[in-house]
Amino acid sequence: MADTQLDSAAMNLPSLLDYCAELHKHAQKVHTFNRLLNTDAKIAQTPKECIWTLNKARLYRYVPVVPEGERHRIPLFLVFAIMNRPHVLDLRPGHSFVEYMVKKGYDVYLLDWGAPGPEDKNMKFDDYVLEYLPRAIRKFKSVAETDEFSMLGWCLGALISTMYAALRPDDGIRNLILLTAPLDFSEQEIGAFTRWTSNPAFNADRIVETLGNVPGEMIDSGAKLLKPIENYIGSYVALWDRIDNPKAAEGWHAMNTWVRDIIPMAGAAYQQLINELYKENRLMRGTMTLRGERVDLKRLRASVLNVIAEGDHITPPCQSEGVLNLVGSQDKTLFKVRGGHIGIMAGSGAEKNTWPHIETWLAERSK
Amino acid sequence: MLVHRGVIQETKVGKANNPMSPNDNGFDPFDPTGLVKSMRDASLDAWSKMMVELVNTQAYAEAQGTMLDAWLSNSAPFRKGTENAINQTLANLNLPSREDITRLAERLTNIEMRLDDLDAKLDEALRGGQKPGKARQSRTGKEES
Repeated sequence: MADTQLDSAAMNLPSLLDYCAELHKHAQKVHTFNRLLNTDAKIAQTPKECIWTLNKARLYRYVPVVPEGERHRIPLFLVFAIMNRPHVLDLRPGHSFVEYMVKKGYDVYLLDWGAPGPEDKNMKFDDYVLEYLPRAIRKFKSVAETDEFSMLGWCLGALISTMYAALRPDDGIRNLILLTAPLDFSEQEIGAFTRWTSNPAFNADRIVETLGNVPGEMIDSGAKLLKPIENYIGSYVALWDRIDNPKAAEGWHAMNTWVRDIIPMAGAAYQQLINELYKENRLMRGTMTLRGERVDLKRLRASVLNVIAEGDHITPPCQSEGVLNLVGSQDKTLFKVRGGHIGIMAGSGAEKNTWPHIETWLAERSK
Repeated sequence: MLVHRGVIQETKVGKANNPMSPNDNGFDPFDPTGLVKSMRDASLDAWSKMMVELVNTQAYAEAQGTMLDAWLSNSAPFRKGTENAINQTLANLNLPSREDITRLAERLTNIEMRLDDLDAKLDEALRGGQKPGKARQSRTGKEES
């Protein structure tokens, strides 16, 4: 036995103890990996109060941390997409857009659409834009004691915000920030989503007729299939590689918690999105009508900041760029950021690039 | 119209800095696992490009649409059958069906909207014709975190 140990040391080979230590280390890694994969991180922790509810929709006001006299005069109203939870705007303390804006002296409000139930399957964009949003804005204006406000919409939230700003230009909307807004579907050959949904074989009516609301799993897998290797393998390989780095693992955990929290999309809104927007490009053609009112983008007069992610595979840049040529605003800015659909706002570079840029643009227009 | 572009140094949002994205380790000739890792990353990259190209083809779009349609058509009778059976059972047990609950939820939403209308009128009355910003509105709801 002693001879074997001596030989092993002389040949500089790992001993049994080394193997055991390595095995233990790997077992711990597997345990951590499993935990990060199957548990929920604490997200959306910035203190807030609920000031309005209607059906599943909730309007939150974030508790200001800057004294009233030092805050910006114009409050900020956030509108997120209707098929995801809005927690990605407030991912985790120290890495939250909401927290960042609150600390910069904005009075921040967030409209959470909630998860639609079977009774909401007939909800269309008409309802989101002309029923829920105006009611939430009325309450928000009343609580914020203001006539004017800035609105930030992300993804389908940006689509809703744009239609609202065009239909109700005199409702006090002063600044409009669009993040990765899917508005222009004239390029049918760019972007896998457009290609899939514009195909005659893709029948949104049948999906809704059969399923009612579109299940979150279906939307989630559709989004993941745009980059299947990254989403189904690469993401987990990246976690394994960085599992010893607590900060990276924590960031991954928070993002994964948000990604896993999927919700369905109201059936009628999905039908409208596919048929009237993806297939017929009604908004850009000027033929989109909500409750009989035509959405005329020329009526949109608010200052516009259009933020585009250059590497966005969900909303390719061509789907957002064209809108600035159609809106009636005098003050319009295009900001292109390298990164993906979510990464530009929730990636680790967001707080150094996207957020300060939005804040600087908004600060000048919030006096 | 102003056009800004994010600075390259500041916009590494997607890859290297993203905890969800693959690691960008340099190759170390003295690390045997490094070689395996490099090979793994290279193969993942190649597969990723190939798959992205694949899902972007017209043929994939066609196949996906057809498969989805077939699944929906085939599952519809099953769904309908199950639904009818459950509805029948619930009716026999004198219990409300999913449709009854849905109708009730719709009515509740309508009532909520009417309450919201009343709330708007109350707000207006409390302001006494003053513009917002002159009168203080009491806040409802409790603090959450």
